[in-house]
Amino acid sequence: MRLGLVRGHVVLSRGVPALQGVRLLLVEPVTAENLRARNRRGGGKTLVVADRLSPAAGQLVGIVEGSEAAQPFDVPTAVDAYCALIVNEYTFEPPGVSEPDGAEGRG
Amino acid sequence: MFLARIDGTLTASRKDARLDGVRFLIGQRLDGDGTTVGEPLVFLDRMGAGRGSTVLVSSDGTIARAWLGEGVPARLVVVGIVDRVSQPVAAGRVS
Repeated sequence: MRLGLVRGHVVLSRGVPALQGVRLLLVEPVTAENLRARNRRGGGKTLVVADRLSPAAGQLVGIVEGSEAAQPFDVPTAVDAYCALIVNEYTFEPPGVSEPDGAEGRG
Repeated sequence: MFLARIDGTLTASRKDARLDGVRFLIGQRLDGDGTTVGEPLVFLDRMGAGRGSTVLVSSDGTIARAWLGEGVPARLVVVGIVDRVSQPVAAGRVS
């Protein structure tokens, strides 16, 4: 799964039957640079994600994509992205990246 | 399947119930020349991979379902820890 920041949600006035009752989040995927900088920026292309966990705006979530995103649903569904977890804490320390100025202590 | 480097871990108390007890790693997919490509990814792990490990990742959810049961929303699973990669004609060095 990719990691993304919750930016909002989507409400449909009409939709295919398979999407009835499915909550839809707007999620902005987070790039490596932004994940490391912990700057609350995303940087990826925003996508719509089915959800049952109700994360708040700004929370970091894990998004399963592809046919596995439909696994939690009982019936055939149009869902191809699913919010599988809400991140509490993470470490992310790629090797060989110099510390940006002023980032020390922001953890 | 693809190669990835493990750069971190994450914890999530709120998650799909089928993912309870699973160890999550954060890594980046590696291209043939060892550079990272794309956005960071979360992998499910039960092989004990750690930060700095190069791992083999399967993107077929079958292995996740065999491990955690039908209905689990997961696709990327660590299926091997890489000892070495032999690449006699290195990517980017082909003349």
